[in-house]
Amino acid sequence: MYNARMRTHLGLVILCVLSAARVCSSTSAPESPRKFDCRSREKETFSCWWEPGSDGGLPTEYRLFYTQERLREVRECPDYVSAGANSCFFDKKHTSIWAEYTMTVVATNALGNASEEFRITDVMEYVKPDPPVNVTVVVNSSAPSPFLEIRWKSPPDVDVRTGWVTLKYELRVKQNDSKEWKTVDIGSETFFNFYNVYPGLLYMAQVRCKLDHGKWSEWSNTIFAEIPKNHQVEKYFWIFVFVFSLIPLLMGIYILLLKRNVVKQCLLPPVPGPKIKGLNAHLLKSGRSEDVVNALMGNQNFPPVAAWTEQVEDFLLVSDSDEWLLTDSFASEKKKDIFIIPAGLHLGLEIQCRDLSVDLNTWEKTDDSKEEAKSNFLNTEPINLPVEKHEFLNGEEMSIQPLANTSYVDIQQHPTLTDYSRVKEVNDNTILILNEEEIPHGLDAEEVKSEVSVPDDYSRVKEVNSDVVFLEKGDSTDGCCKKKEDHYTDWTNQKPIMPLESELSKGFCLKMIASGYVDSGPAFSVK
Amino acid sequence: ALCSRLSSMRAASSCTNGQTGCHFLSLANLFDRVIQHSARMHGISNDLHSEFELYFLPSKNQIGRVSRNCHTSTILTPNGKENAQRIAREELTEVILKLLVAWREPLWHFHQNMAQHREFNNFSSNKSLEMSEMVHELRRGVQKVVEKMQMLGVINSSLGNLGSPEALLASDRAEWRLMNDYDLLYCFRRDSNKIQNYLKILKCRIIPEHGC
Repeated sequence: MYNARMRTHLGLVILCVLSAARVCSSTSAPESPRKFDCRSREKETFSCWWEPGSDGGLPTEYRLFYTQERLREVRECPDYVSAGANSCFFDKKHTSIWAEYTMTVVATNALGNASEEFRITDVMEYVKPDPPVNVTVVVNSSAPSPFLEIRWKSPPDVDVRTGWVTLKYELRVKQNDSKEWKTVDIGSETFFNFYNVYPGLLYMAQVRCKLDHGKWSEWSNTIFAEIPKNHQVEKYFWIFVFVFSLIPLLMGIYILLLKRNVVKQCLLPPVPGPKIKGLNAHLLKSGRSEDVVNALMGNQNFPPVAAWTEQVEDFLLVSDSDEWLLTDSFASEKKKDIFIIPAGLHLGLEIQCRDLSVDLNTWEKTDDSKEEAKSNFLNTEPINLPVEKHEFLNGEEMSIQPLANTSYVDIQQHPTLTDYSRVKEVNDNTILILNEEEIPHGLDAEEVKSEVSVPDDYSRVKEVNSDVVFLEKGDSTDGCCKKKEDHYTDWTNQKPIMPLESELSKGFCLKMIASGYVDSGPAFSVK
Repeated sequence: ALCSRLSSMRAASSCTNGQTGCHFLSLANLFDRVIQHSARMHGISNDLHSEFELYFLPSKNQIGRVSRNCHTSTILTPNGKENAQRIAREELTEVILKLLVAWREPLWHFHQNMAQHREFNNFSSNKSLEMSEMVHELRRGVQKVVEKMQMLGVINSSLGNLGSPEALLASDRAEWRLMNDYDLLYCFRRDSNKIQNYLKILKCRIIPEHGC
């Protein structure tokens, strides 16, 4: 019994000793550290870390020694604390950027030590900055399309001012539900306007930076931004405006339709007939010549109308050739232009040459007389005069008495148009009237109430042929004259030249329009 | 792009009627162009170095590389921001020029080697040619800047030996032949980064108000 108890105690003791011995034999010298890495945030300081190996069961101390290129002395790490455990921090004083470092990390414990050597050829290779800070995104909704204004700041501690460091940025943006990032190289600016956005979507943005040719930093915090959907409001607004502008438009059309006639009268006014002062169209229709005459001229003592009409019927053919005068077929077939000898032409009248002064009143009277003549003509059948051309009889002189103020008065007294020999040519609707040399002076065409006046520039003279001057308006090579209207417009503003000597004389061609106007008041000017 | 940039650089140096603001503006323009030029040069050297790493470096052990000796190690260069800001302007300028001069021949020979190697594509060969030309043009550009600075009195004319900077490195001519291509590219990448940084610091020391 005693032996068995002793044996178990011994066994237990042996067991204890053995177990104690096992514990004691696991301690050993440390292993060398592994995995060395460094990082510089701003190219002015840097830190290095190592991974410790097994520590051999005993408290192990790690120390770092380094040599620099060209420095023979061995230095120890200045700061084991700032960068954390198993690290060494090199501050500005101990950092040389382009120098080569040879680091030796030594692990020491009670049983031994182990070391490992690491070489850093250039701190620049380990430059990796912090990400940019203060990244902000603002949605700019200005026209024509919204965009994102993204801004950021350089990471702290990076010295850009002295030119020691050049920062380059990179931005990336993506839609919230998309997988693809859109990346943009920024350069050195700290802002960017990102236009590739659509309304109604949520976007996220990140920025990172790089120092010189070092490594890219981590991406900054993600910033979110949503583009508002305001374009739909704009669409509704325009629809609203459109609809509201339609209402007055439709109303306007409706009103126009209602008042078609008024509109028609407004836009397309009827062309007014010619108006003679005092002459009423109704008077003409009534056919009573006395009324017309009275309306035109008041009550003046004119010779009986019948006399005029006789003459008109008799004397409307103008020609200087004998055939003309003999032919008798003056009955009008159709209404044609009526040839009128200008009242100024002395048709067989003895007109004395008066003085140069022109009496306005007289002219007025003459105007009236003209108009009376016109009215008489209107009352008569228009006479169709055959149109024949006659050659000019050059050199034939006509003894046209000068036209003076008195001409009209005289015409009244001697209303015989006997002398058609003055007419040189009849051409279509125009009569060429030959002028005399003795032309009244001082005929002031301006004072002729009619619109015909003497042009003072002879540039329009087409042809001068003995006593006749062809006036033209424009370049027509036809007969001598154009329409009367042309003359009117052409000569209205012209002042006549009133020279006294006569070289040329002008003739005016007149045309009687079917409406019955008698063109009156030709002015002869003598040059 | 090279030629136009440099010719415009020369054109910018003429300023009429001696307005000081105008002069400093043209000096700032000159600096900007030179800095852009150096940035581009450094970018190309970085690209070439990366391509070389793909082709030639079997084990990319980030830390455990063999130490290199660049032939420009003998040139004392400020290795930090404070150092670069502390040394005199003339000294900094001299360092820049020394670096530029030192790389003229090695890069030229590098390009010749590249043209012969069949394994490089034309793209790399063009880059090496561009790089070697750039270092030459950049040196001329920096000399123009120095002349302008001396004219404006920004730096004193103690740099009398600028006319023949080759004299500075007469003794170093043979050292670069010992380097292999990959080391050469690595060293040049580092030196082009130095040149770019020194130029920027120099500009911001002399003309701080124009975009620093």
